[in-house]
Amino acid sequence: MMSTVTGRLSQAFLLLLVMSLIGFVGIHSVGNPVYNIVNIETATAEDIRKATIALGLDQPLWRQYVLFIGNVVTGNFGTSYIYHLPAFRLVMSKLPATLELASIAMLIAAPAGTLLGLLAGRRQGKPADSAILKASVFALSIPSFWLSMMLILLGAIMTGWFPSGGRGPTVSLLGQDWSFLTLDGLRQLTLPALALAIPNIALIARLARSGTIEVESQDFTRFCRAKGLSSRRILFRHTLPNISVPIVTIVGMQFGGMLAFAVVVETIFAWPGVGKLLIDSIQLLDRPVVMATLTFVSVAFVGLNALVDLFYALLDPRVRRSA
Amino acid sequence: MKAETILALWKRPMGHGPSLPKFLLGAYMLLAIVAPLIALQNPYDPLQIYGWEASSPPGTVGTGGFMYLLGTDGLGRDIASTILYGLRISLVVSITSTAIGALVGLTAGVSAAYFGKWVDVVIMRVVDLQLSLPTILVALIAIVTLGPGIDRIILALIIVQWATYARIARGVALSEINKPYLDAARLLRLPISRIIFRHLLPNSIAPAITLIPIELGHAVALEATLSFLGLGVPIDKPSLGSAVANGFQYLLTGQYWISLFPGLALFGLIASINFVGEDIRRRLDPRSRSI
Repeated sequence: MMSTVTGRLSQAFLLLLVMSLIGFVGIHSVGNPVYNIVNIETATAEDIRKATIALGLDQPLWRQYVLFIGNVVTGNFGTSYIYHLPAFRLVMSKLPATLELASIAMLIAAPAGTLLGLLAGRRQGKPADSAILKASVFALSIPSFWLSMMLILLGAIMTGWFPSGGRGPTVSLLGQDWSFLTLDGLRQLTLPALALAIPNIALIARLARSGTIEVESQDFTRFCRAKGLSSRRILFRHTLPNISVPIVTIVGMQFGGMLAFAVVVETIFAWPGVGKLLIDSIQLLDRPVVMATLTFVSVAFVGLNALVDLFYALLDPRVRRSA
Repeated sequence: MKAETILALWKRPMGHGPSLPKFLLGAYMLLAIVAPLIALQNPYDPLQIYGWEASSPPGTVGTGGFMYLLGTDGLGRDIASTILYGLRISLVVSITSTAIGALVGLTAGVSAAYFGKWVDVVIMRVVDLQLSLPTILVALIAIVTLGPGIDRIILALIIVQWATYARIARGVALSEINKPYLDAARLLRLPISRIIFRHLLPNSIAPAITLIPIELGHAVALEATLSFLGLGVPIDKPSLGSAVANGFQYLLTGQYWISLFPGLALFGLIASINFVGEDIRRRLDPRSRSI
């Protein structure tokens, strides 16, 4: 078990290395960041030359790449062209806000989706089931940016129940600022968290539904029913544990997906997280920050997947035994 | 899935009887094709726009004598026309990229199965890594690397999509590869390209067919998302995503129609593609665990 995980991890990191090379070459062919640093109207050729040297862009490309990889290994992505802060530290400073948002969204999505899925699966073919199935297709079809905007329209502009954006007041805990500790902060969190949660509720519900249908048709469920167990007990004590493996998988993977989709939601709700930083940096050609963010998210993802694999073993005795 | 099933699907691609999603999807296609004929103006031609009509609410009668059915945006462009023109680009981008992505992915998957050894390892490791990353992240990496422009978005969407097809096609091709007809083809010393494209590929694509509508829906959504973020279709070209983005700043001051209607059109398009796709999948594989 452990060795397959480490094997997959090392392969994945090798691939990330190759991808970083492709990305590095690509990003260098897309526009010169020097022109974002100097004032185009007033800069002389000398200014541009100086800026180029200061950014290390006068070096041959392979040299820049070797330097880059060497720096990445030590967590040094260079200094942001815009904020004049170390890029990696900048990303890390935005991370708690994104993690908080994604965690709250998953705390909404996982139970809600599982419950809806169990409900639909129990009543396969009944109106409740087809309603949940139809609703899930709708929920998965809404583009997340439009969903966010409609949430703002309904929840903030027309009713005034929630703020339309920003993070609002934060409370410091363990050296980081958090929103979820105050009522105001929770109100700020509600709309963006819902925007992230709704597609995931649908996804988890569909998965839970198909799992429930499969499990409920098996002999042990029939035996439980013959034994006279209440259907609620069968559902929560026997069906739920048996569908937990795929649900944990999807929760793990979607949590990563939320970190990525936070790009859209954070941009709309002006939530000061990693996603907004990434989009802002792409538009400002802030290359070190773009590279730091993309590398961090990709590496975090590969790690997260390995973690989900390990989690299987914890949840499913069969996987543990076969290892 | 048998070849006959595919044939049946080909003859009757939409199942029995009309339904709302099928009708809607057909209407979208038709509207996209005839857009220049029925649109009131070309919203991206500055000569046809009147600046003083900016942010007119739906139903305003404009200078040209016609009614802005869905209102105008912050620059005075007719929203209904923007939707029609945006639909064209959104559909062209997503259909092209889905078609090429499927072709590239299927070829890669079948080749991986046929050649085995290091070809297989290399292709499948890339597929594994890519499928473990969320699509939006892959798309963002691709766009950052490729730069802006419509051709680049198509390329980025192809990069996003090919891996799914490759994984499925490889699985099927592996089970096909030991069948007698392929032995026969090899014994005849047919060229490898002919074996792959004429024999192995057509017999390995069936399960991947059901993926196409789903992936098309994803492609439409992803193109819109990228355009919304300002990383997709250039701002001088209409797109449903950028049309929604244009209205964002006006949303907060209550001019809801600028974002509402293009978004609604987009939502309807994606939903109808998804419903039709689900229908096709259910008919091809009744036992499919509909996830």
